[in-house]
Amino acid sequence: MSKAKKILSSKPLIMMVWFLVLVVLWEIGASNMEKTKRTPENILPHVSQIVGSVTDGKLVSNNMTATQIVLKSAGATLERALIGFLFGSVFGFLMALLMKLSNLVEKTIFPYLMLIQMIPIIGMAPIILAITHDIGTSRIVIAAILTFYPVATNTLAGLNSVSKEKYELMYSYAANKWTIYKKVLIPSCIPYFFTGLKISAPMAITASILVDTLQGDGGLGCMLSQSLKHAMSIYVFWQIVFFSAIIGILSSVLMGFIEKLVSPQMRQFRQSRKHRSKA
Amino acid sequence: MIKRKKNVFVRFITNPKVQPFLSVILPVALGLFIFILWQTQVLHKLLHTDTFTLPLPSQINQIIGDNIPKIITNVKSTVLVAVIGLTIGSLIGYLIAVIATVFPKWGAGGLSIVAAFNAIPIVALAPVMTNWTKDVSKDASVRSMVAKILVVMIVSIATMSVNAYRGLNDLPVFSLDLMKSYAAKRRIVFLKLRLPNSVPYIFTALRVGVPSSVISAIVSEYFAEYITGVGRQIRENIVIAQYATAWAYIAVACIIGISMYCILMIFEGILLRNRRS
Repeated sequence: MSKAKKILSSKPLIMMVWFLVLVVLWEIGASNMEKTKRTPENILPHVSQIVGSVTDGKLVSNNMTATQIVLKSAGATLERALIGFLFGSVFGFLMALLMKLSNLVEKTIFPYLMLIQMIPIIGMAPIILAITHDIGTSRIVIAAILTFYPVATNTLAGLNSVSKEKYELMYSYAANKWTIYKKVLIPSCIPYFFTGLKISAPMAITASILVDTLQGDGGLGCMLSQSLKHAMSIYVFWQIVFFSAIIGILSSVLMGFIEKLVSPQMRQFRQSRKHRSKA
Repeated sequence: MIKRKKNVFVRFITNPKVQPFLSVILPVALGLFIFILWQTQVLHKLLHTDTFTLPLPSQINQIIGDNIPKIITNVKSTVLVAVIGLTIGSLIGYLIAVIATVFPKWGAGGLSIVAAFNAIPIVALAPVMTNWTKDVSKDASVRSMVAKILVVMIVSIATMSVNAYRGLNDLPVFSLDLMKSYAAKRRIVFLKLRLPNSVPYIFTALRVGVPSSVISAIVSEYFAEYITGVGRQIRENIVIAQYATAWAYIAVACIIGISMYCILMIFEGILLRNRRS
């Protein structure tokens, strides 16, 4: 009895219920549209219709099914988003370290890190495309910039959060600067670093899709706008909408998963579990 | 720490009296340095571009001066969308947080779903909203406006609800016990403890929300039917290769972002004056 109650009140189940509520609301809306509109699939198709279009083998354009189009263009978009994301996170981490190492660098750069948060960088996407002349490069550049500043500010906050007692302990060990960074500062900034990554991963994907819409060169955003203009089946549009939503959420979840794999705080937890499974 | 002999330079930059000056002078110096590189076209050589795609600051400034009436109409449309969307979205977000606090069991799970909305790319939301608002009005400018506001709203709801929930529930240690010892009713606990405790968290949410509302407004302009707004102007001018004008609008977008953030900071300074210890 109590076990059943426990399962009923578990968080995943509650989330599932809420998710179902959303689906039901969507379906009610879709049924309404079906009755009142001539082309309901443009506004609010049934969930089953969208799912059906994923498995449908009908060729939409260029001898490809809708799913093939989405996956192929997603490859181009996500690859660039990922490269930009990697560049941005490495650069952001190094910048945070540099700012921690040198007070002068921090004083010089930090106001600009604050400023860049207030500026709509995505609005600059067209101009970066104009400067680089290459859609792939501009995807990488924008994704990198958008990744860079959340990672840098969060990592710096992590480096600055180290308590005085830890420094004092290291001092009593006569630890040099390198050891302090290796043993104290870097491990303790890892959770903050991942907070930055969780914020910026969906942003990098958004930016990459947005850059696509600027030029006709494959990619999710390009297909999205073409499908909206009815150059191909509207279900390509719906698939892309849901695909990008799911990818956006998954990217954030994935960062949380990687955090669990690499962070020193979690390592202990993993080892203790390993011991238990051995015994 | 270890006392070591430091050279004059190190002694100068670590002098506490010099610190406040340094934190002003250094960023300004960097800004000036970039500005000079830009104006003297060294930046163009570094980026392998020309003054046509990357106009000089003086050119951009001149264009802003020449087009002030047109720029103001576009700024109005963008700011209106961002502010209305942010206000409605934050109110709804706060309400969701309150409901989640009152019904903790179901609320927390629902909140995770709302938080997931934060990860949905705006590019996916904007065209959907444009589609859904086709019947709102016969006037294209009105229905585009509604669509854009909805996008900003959804983005703001996610940010506000997560932060406000934290503010309503991360209470100071023992404060709940104190309320219990007063035999306070849940309503009183809510009014006297949870509500005041959430105020700084509201501002944390707004600090994220204000810039992201401007960004969402700009991106949703790309997909709107009616051509207006700073973001749309950037794009339209790029399409017709008027790079200088596009840069002028980028500069304007930056000014909007910065000034909205400054206004928020001033509000925060006034409202949270008594909280600083």
